[in-house]
Amino acid sequence: MRRSYVHGESATAVATAATIASTTTVTTAPTSTTITATTAATKLTAMDTHDITLTINGTEHDLSVEPRTLLVHALRDELGYTGTNVGCESTLCGACTVNMDGDAVKSCTILAVQADGTELRTVEGLRESGTFHPIQEGFQKEHGLQCGYCTPGMMLAATDLLEENPDPSDEEIREGIEGNLCRCTGYQNIVNAVEYAAEEMRADDTGSTETAAADGGVPMTDYEAVKEED
Amino acid sequence: MKPAAFEYHRPESVSEATDLLAEHDGAELMAGNQSLGILMANRLATPDHLVDLNAVDELSYIDVTDEAVEIGALARHRDIETSASLAEALPMFPDAASQIAGPSVRNMGTLGGSIGEADPAGNYPAVVTALDGELTLVSPDGQRTVPASEYFIAYMFTELEEEEVIAKVTVPREPFPTDRTGMAFLEQKPAAQTWPTISVGAAIRVDDPEREEPVVEDARVTLANVAGVPLRAEAAEAKVEGEPLSEGALEAAGEAASEASNPEGEMHADEQYKRELAAEYTRRSFETAYDRAVGSQ
Repeated sequence: MRRSYVHGESATAVATAATIASTTTVTTAPTSTTITATTAATKLTAMDTHDITLTINGTEHDLSVEPRTLLVHALRDELGYTGTNVGCESTLCGACTVNMDGDAVKSCTILAVQADGTELRTVEGLRESGTFHPIQEGFQKEHGLQCGYCTPGMMLAATDLLEENPDPSDEEIREGIEGNLCRCTGYQNIVNAVEYAAEEMRADDTGSTETAAADGGVPMTDYEAVKEED
Repeated sequence: MKPAAFEYHRPESVSEATDLLAEHDGAELMAGNQSLGILMANRLATPDHLVDLNAVDELSYIDVTDEAVEIGALARHRDIETSASLAEALPMFPDAASQIAGPSVRNMGTLGGSIGEADPAGNYPAVVTALDGELTLVSPDGQRTVPASEYFIAYMFTELEEEEVIAKVTVPREPFPTDRTGMAFLEQKPAAQTWPTISVGAAIRVDDPEREEPVVEDARVTLANVAGVPLRAEAAEAKVEGEPLSEGALEAAGEAASEASNPEGEMHADEQYKRELAAEYTRRSFETAYDRAVGSQ
């Protein structure tokens, strides 16, 4: 019989919630009748903070955050990694996608405290030693962006896909980025960009560096070596 | 700063977690944070204490034996989606998991979170109901098992008590021999990130897939988002059992599921449309499950 944390847990509120069940998103479900002011007496006022460590693009950062600080805000406001954008703040748009311990995640629904001790990769970490990552090259060459707002998130979602599936079909690419919205491109050029990156990365992997080297791309083996040196 | 302030706790065991729930009135559990996080950001939820389960490693597993499938509450959608042993034993689980939002959400969201949230449009509530799963709930006083059929009480209300944590889901494998069982989980939704308009999970066991017209021995079907709780449509199951799957039986099953449903209209789908979807998706999911059971798909 949980749900006590949802405000206005009374028979009326429950009935209200029930009648408006099945709306398309959670955020649209509760109405004003379920939102009640919390009395000051029961609400926390003291801002207790937690000391956490985030390793971002290979650099360790120690910081102190309130538990309610979202990871995306810690990245942007506390640490200056402003490449990660804030969009819908409700896991719908994917603009805030980063990589956490090897997986693409949406940093708007992860608490900074929750990410304590993790290794994060943001769009700033894609570029190494002045050379674009194949996915960045792909977006540039295939015109994968117009306004660019979704681009950092798209690239982090795409690199996660390519790490798991180095040779995705068009459909698999579309599935891989289905949590990321773009309002400009119509997606086709983004799919092309991911395909471009996949080809480059595969060429690097098999040692057939012709394609990659010819256009200035960095073979992944060297890319890993560069990371070591850092 | 979007959510209201709260105190944060990060237990490393189930017993620590339940102790925290007992100690702090109004404490709330957090797993993947893909639904609760949104409620909190909009201040529709303002718990004073948040108990983060992500470090409770003992809840993170998928265990498939000859007798049963056990999935820990902290198993991520992605783990379930990509588990080869689940795909073999109870393919409805990976099928349902793979259709939740996009990959980044699936990397975080958990089985237990979905069942705790108990949104009737959720995928796992329908799956565990269709497969007659059992939930293990742990409190400071011990643990109890609750059948899925009794767990979901009303719209987002469940058997779960204030001091309880969902530990695992158990599904016995005996009713679903892999060589003659087929499963399907089909859903319709306007976009990847939205809740589905309807989802239907179905399982069909036939007597002998080698026969010319294999007979349906056992059928299961559960519909999501057409009632306040996951809707097990037993009347629809009865329509296809005891004979080879026919057009007439599918038609009757669809009608029965539609009659059993009691949907709320929503922005992109009125009540009548959802009733029609209930019939059509019941039909399609039985057909797909049967095809898979007889090995033609």
